[in-house]
Amino acid sequence: MFLQAKVTWGALALLGSAGLAQAEVHAEAQHVAAEPSAAITYCFAVLLVAMILSLALEEKIHAKKSLIVALYAVVALIAGSAMGLMPFGSVTLPGGHLIEMPVYIPAVDWGVIAIILGSSIFVDVTSRSGLFTWIAVRLTKASGGDPRKLLWYYGLMTVVFSAVLNNVTAMIIVGSLTGVSLGKLGRENKLLAFLLVEGLLTNIGGLLTLISSVPNIIIGNAASISFVQFFITASPYVAVATVATILLGARLFDIRALATAEERAEAQTLVEAFDENDGIESPFFFKFATVMLLLFILTIAMTSALPVISDLGMGFVALAFATAMLIRYKSDVDQFYKAIDWDLIIFFMSLFVVINVMEHARVLGLIGQGIGLLIGDGESSMGTGVLLLTAAFFSSVTDNIPLAAMLAKILSASGTPADSPLWWSVVFGANLGGNITPIGSASTLVAVTLIHKYKLPLSFAGFVGKALPYAALQLGLAVIYVLVFVA
Amino acid sequence: MFQVDQFESVFRSALHDPFELLLPTAESMLVVTDLAQDEANAFAARVGAFLGKTSLCDAPAVHAVSGEAFSSTTKLLELVDASDTDLICTYRNLHSEAWRYPHSLGEYLDVLLQRTDVPVLVLPHPGADYAADHALQGADVVMAVTDHLEQEHRLVNYAAALVQPGGTLWLAHVESRRTFDRYLDAISKIPTIDTEDARRRMEERLLKDAHAYVNTCAARLAQGGVNLQVQSLVEFGDHLAEYQRYVETYRVDLLVMNTKDEDQLAMHGLAYPLAVELRQIPLLML
Repeated sequence: MFLQAKVTWGALALLGSAGLAQAEVHAEAQHVAAEPSAAITYCFAVLLVAMILSLALEEKIHAKKSLIVALYAVVALIAGSAMGLMPFGSVTLPGGHLIEMPVYIPAVDWGVIAIILGSSIFVDVTSRSGLFTWIAVRLTKASGGDPRKLLWYYGLMTVVFSAVLNNVTAMIIVGSLTGVSLGKLGRENKLLAFLLVEGLLTNIGGLLTLISSVPNIIIGNAASISFVQFFITASPYVAVATVATILLGARLFDIRALATAEERAEAQTLVEAFDENDGIESPFFFKFATVMLLLFILTIAMTSALPVISDLGMGFVALAFATAMLIRYKSDVDQFYKAIDWDLIIFFMSLFVVINVMEHARVLGLIGQGIGLLIGDGESSMGTGVLLLTAAFFSSVTDNIPLAAMLAKILSASGTPADSPLWWSVVFGANLGGNITPIGSASTLVAVTLIHKYKLPLSFAGFVGKALPYAALQLGLAVIYVLVFVA
Repeated sequence: MFQVDQFESVFRSALHDPFELLLPTAESMLVVTDLAQDEANAFAARVGAFLGKTSLCDAPAVHAVSGEAFSSTTKLLELVDASDTDLICTYRNLHSEAWRYPHSLGEYLDVLLQRTDVPVLVLPHPGADYAADHALQGADVVMAVTDHLEQEHRLVNYAAALVQPGGTLWLAHVESRRTFDRYLDAISKIPTIDTEDARRRMEERLLKDAHAYVNTCAARLAQGGVNLQVQSLVEFGDHLAEYQRYVETYRVDLLVMNTKDEDQLAMHGLAYPLAVELRQIPLLML
């Protein structure tokens, strides 16, 4: 059993001969992993379904998703090891150096973790400059307090912030401003409409760039889609879907422009009470943060084209910019480390471990076969559309990250080319599915949390009822877009 | 990562209701005394001279009330109602010898302050010798005092209207150090809150809105062409002691404060102790 055969993690995966994302990581196997029986595969499939159900019921069982998935990761690793499915052994580094590494370490996609960690610290420090609140308040004042203009401005701001920051942060910034500004304008009766439309727009904005949402990062990494290529492909859809969503929101919730000059003058006076400079502690840091944010976006966009940087990857870029920004708070950096969303980070790490075990247990192969039945040979329009809608459905009832991670593995393993519309079906489906239910995405959950915080009645079914026209419109547009323009 | 409350706080903090400039004017002034009519007229003339250079009292109709005109609080209130005046000027302990003892306002002033909506200018007693040497010489330095200097448009407008051209308007906000320390003591016993961080942030926060409001007052008064200088006194301390110190240090000619409290029949917060203690200068009680 203790062979010195060099095998790839991808070869050990149970998806035939297809390579996997971690194919460059080699293990000096000390034993060959066993071929699982169908019964074992089904047992692990049940474990995976149980984990997905537990995640869907996260709110009901009052447990953080990091703990839920970590527990499943522990069980999966023990079971996988006991059944001889896991390939233990040393890991060969690119220079040929052998190192001992626990089996669960190379299971984690550290590139994704680095992007999330670096981006969140970078955005957190940048927000201390007052830049995002400055933009938000300037837009509020530019609207003159007119509800119709405010919906457009906040809607566009949500999309841009979701694209540049992340969906949850965008929803928190725009949603909290909405609560304060509509309260000031005496338009509390429109708060539900604004928060709902903004929540739905976060998932549209999350489609704009490669780093706008975690499913994008996972799919982009798996399919080797560059930042620029992703932006060029996704942006026309984002523009159309944004306009359509805002127009529908204004129509369904009867959000009208102010009719008289007196109303406009009164609203203008009220929004003038906002001071956009209030949150700026240091004008220098404000300017520095603005420049750094632009540089960050530019560098991320050009990562694949920059010498040296292209080898280090986007995760390095995010961490490097975060480090540079932390210089401003050099004696208090620990406060930013404390503020990191460890729930999210540990969730990801555990999830990658679970998926790795599922890969060895051939569960992903099994799901791949099921998807194969759905999409046929991957060339048909029907299959592409079905995959998009299926991904959207599953994304609406559970976390879209495991879904994206699993589908990325399956599509990679089946040798799906980078220009295949199937990747985009997963991207659009995983992101837009979050708009069907309040638990479909973290940002819609934040929107619902804000709605409840302001004591506005909205049940689960109520959300689905109100969101369904938007989700149907967005998914319809997405299917047409992927089939007509991307395929 | 971000919390909803974090950004709500940021946006609430960015919301500063600016000062609304609307300087009041008094077309008629009722000077209530317990003196004989000729002495009452002389006292009224002195008050008129004191306020004559201010925009509040630009040639108002002055009506002097003698002590014979009323003998009860009911009659005084009827008299005030009938006069339909914009400003009442009077002094403490009408129809009483209690003015010799600095412990009360007297029943007439008490009732006037609480039962009428008309601002009352409380002057040093004409018979007393405790008036400051600069009292009633002119309203060159006027101070508006409050423990919550935010959206106090009426208070600031009256105070500004009482500053004679080229004078100084002090806007004072004293945050109670004693109350602050009490809350901080409670915070120091909560393990999850960093006490020093809480102290620093709360101190900064409590004074920030008052500073911002003073800035908008100065800007709007300047825009409105009001000829005065705005100065701010925004700090922690003991209310009564600080205000007494300010009056002496800055040689304040007139102090303006709120009196009414929607939640109680009694006088608002510090108004009563200030009105009792600060007897040496005129006080405008709104």
